[in-house]
Amino acid sequence: MVEIEIDGQLVNAEPGEMVIAVTDRESISVPRFCYHKKLSISASCRMCLVDVEGAPKPQPACSTPIAEGMKIHTQNEKAVASQKAVMEFLLINHPLDCPICDQGGECELQDVAVEYGSDVSRFSEGKRIVAPSDIGPLIQTDMTRCIHCTRCVRFGNEIAGIMEMGATGRGEELKIEPFLAEGITSELSGNMIDVCPVGALTSKPFRYELRSWQMSSIESIARHDLVGSNLYAQTYKGNVKRVVSGDNDAVNETWISDRDRFSYEGLSHENRLLSPQIKVEGQWKEVEWDVALDFAVKGLNRNILNSRNMAKLGGLASNTATLEELYLMQKLLREMGCENIDHRLNVKNLNNTIHLKSTMALADLEAVDYGLIIGANLRLEQPMINHRLRKAQLSGANITALNVKDFDYNYKVKSNAIAPSEIANTLAGVLKILLDKAQQELPEYLLAVSPNKQTVELANELLEADNSVLILGEHLINNAQASSISNLTAEIAKLTNSTTLNLTATANSIGAQQMGFVPNSTGMNTNEMFEADMCAFLLLDIYPEYDFHHSATALSALSKNDVFVISLNSFSNELVSQYSDVMLPMAAMFETSGTHMNIDGKMQSFSAAVSAPGEAKPVWKILKVLADLLELPGFHYENSAKVMEGISHQSVQSHEHDTSVNLGDRTTLVETIWMHSPYQSDVLLRHADSLSVSKIGQINTASMNASTAKILSLSDKDSYLGVPVEIIETMADQCVFVSSNQATNIGGLK
Amino acid sequence: MFNGLKKLVNTLTLSELRTGMKITVKELVNTKITVQYPEEKTPISPRFRGLHALRRYPNGEERCIACKLCEAVCPANAITIESEMREDGTRRTTQYDIDLFKCIFCGFCEEACPVDAIVETQIFDYAFESRDGSIMTKERLLEVGNDNEQAISKARSEDSKYR
Repeated sequence: MVEIEIDGQLVNAEPGEMVIAVTDRESISVPRFCYHKKLSISASCRMCLVDVEGAPKPQPACSTPIAEGMKIHTQNEKAVASQKAVMEFLLINHPLDCPICDQGGECELQDVAVEYGSDVSRFSEGKRIVAPSDIGPLIQTDMTRCIHCTRCVRFGNEIAGIMEMGATGRGEELKIEPFLAEGITSELSGNMIDVCPVGALTSKPFRYELRSWQMSSIESIARHDLVGSNLYAQTYKGNVKRVVSGDNDAVNETWISDRDRFSYEGLSHENRLLSPQIKVEGQWKEVEWDVALDFAVKGLNRNILNSRNMAKLGGLASNTATLEELYLMQKLLREMGCENIDHRLNVKNLNNTIHLKSTMALADLEAVDYGLIIGANLRLEQPMINHRLRKAQLSGANITALNVKDFDYNYKVKSNAIAPSEIANTLAGVLKILLDKAQQELPEYLLAVSPNKQTVELANELLEADNSVLILGEHLINNAQASSISNLTAEIAKLTNSTTLNLTATANSIGAQQMGFVPNSTGMNTNEMFEADMCAFLLLDIYPEYDFHHSATALSALSKNDVFVISLNSFSNELVSQYSDVMLPMAAMFETSGTHMNIDGKMQSFSAAVSAPGEAKPVWKILKVLADLLELPGFHYENSAKVMEGISHQSVQSHEHDTSVNLGDRTTLVETIWMHSPYQSDVLLRHADSLSVSKIGQINTASMNASTAKILSLSDKDSYLGVPVEIIETMADQCVFVSSNQATNIGGLK
Repeated sequence: MFNGLKKLVNTLTLSELRTGMKITVKELVNTKITVQYPEEKTPISPRFRGLHALRRYPNGEERCIACKLCEAVCPANAITIESEMREDGTRRTTQYDIDLFKCIFCGFCEEACPVDAIVETQIFDYAFESRDGSIMTKERLLEVGNDNEQAISKARSEDSKYR
């Protein structure tokens, strides 16, 4: 710590930190454009010039390090004169088209120009015009307004990890533009809108709609992934009009993914379910809430309660629900005596799952020196977790991936294309080497395992690292040895002191587990329910063609004539209306208050930003009233916060997991991993139009290598399971990786 | 004593009557200043702030670009604007309402407008027959602008040297 003087006041600062960081901390205002706390320093705009005593010329505050005894003036004549001169230069080529600029009212250039700009321009020559470039459906460019601060370029380079925007030309010809015609494809691209200090990069879906002062900003939490990014939903007349990022260093720093930023578009989609409906003699009828709830209760009474047959009732929920919703629903079902409760809808075999516990805090991920990613395309599936890992890699960590495909990582990854069936064997090989080195006794299942070059390398990497993390991803969810992989990873983590991250289920799935939204020993899981002869179902925001693994079985179980199905849905869906008997419209994200639990176990509560459209109601209210009508005790909640109080007293029962390891061999000729493309992962995203036409939203490929294609006798003009074939050589042999933006072809995939 | 005498003389000589008659006779021959409203109208300042109008460019394109500065500056919250991107990619209003019951005719909207789209004309003698007639919609405002463009531009050019 040294003592310096800024504008006459004595301030403590670390030697070496930049002047602007100190002035920001002390709330001394210094104008700036190119400086951004999370980006590198470029000192290109020169707006932050301050007078440092002893220096012959004004110094840029963003790139002048603090030294002992410094005396800095931010507002004296010399500093202000140079700031005004810089402002005048910046405005020479700025079009000053604020009236038609979307940034108007929240523009850093506008704000600074009010203070440092001159009323009259001395520049009478012609201004420069830069043709805008189309960089995709999410970001609108007006590059004439650009002041070349290069924040977007640095963002692409340093945060998004793909340098898609760049400065081309020199002097008068200098332009910021995308290098490639396909525009910006990053999964974090929307943050460029937030970092741009002027109106050069603005939100395309929001274009020309509103001024910043017309909207109210409501703090909220994104629920599309395991992070729970903090954000602000900006609303106008009861509609979410825009989403901007919030700051929380423990969660999302200051960035949010495009998925979180643009999903709000789905809220106003025409497919929203707007009124309660009941099916009378095969015909749907729109009714009042009390009629619909009464119908639901009567149906439950007829099919279940009167015959006291609780084992024939099942409750399923999507993991996008809030903690309160999941808690209330399981409470409602358990109060009725029903134990058939599950949120794991897309797992092939629920007795063979990845049950690894996550032991890594999100922010600590930056500090690891080794990371092993198994079965995940982190960049697209968990963008914010990937961002943390990328930071670790940039500061020297080694990252290795065991994936079926060499995905497009945005940092240096030692990638091994490996067939899903070989993962367990590889991990077993690694474990054997580790146990040998630790001179521990080998369990029986490892005796036959012989280490190969790859396992030796992996084991060495793990042993060399002090702080390593093992990450299991979504692609493992239906792996034939899922449970074994989980157990092996836990063993390896124990031996190497590694931390673990289990990213196999997304959204609020950790919360669902904590709320007990899984069957206990007497209950049936999702797959068992569909095999059993059920009489009634209560479904929360479920869309069968996307959500279930066994979608055909599910559909036939739900469609049976004597099964009474109560569906709470935010969007209308043809299949849902085929099998349901009552459809209750529910509030979607941003329309309900609640809590999200992220990978750290951090619970973040949020309030509703807008009220739900039409007759739709928050789920906690619907469930509360339903419970009251069923005359169940203990549902006297006034608001969702009261539900939360009940949750904190909830003790979570831990589940026994199979700890055995079976190292099976490949059983099928060609192995297939089927994933929904990243912008199809929940119902709101599927209705967000701009996202679905973006580059990532358009991903719809069945990747395989040439030899696999030959086995399947397919060419790149054909389709595999209804998805266009892409032949690339970075795939593991005899494997297909499908990333589809279509609904599951029900019955097509076994 | 003296006042009483003066009063008596004035009364006897019909002085007050004569003063009155003098003005009557003078005004009989003077130029008349009464105007026959509504056939005749008194001159109005070019800065007069009357009924609002939305103007167009000579090529027929509406001037308003939906910047919403008038809406923001309006002290009576009388203006409501909704905007969107028109098919040709320009920024336009889809709704532009002024509630004349709320409007206090301060002229701030006119001052704030960067493209001289919203103006207050010299029209002051307007009336409406239903309550919702007080809402000047975009169509009505443009119509006022179309009908009075000559007067509006004349007033503007007269006042331009003081702006």
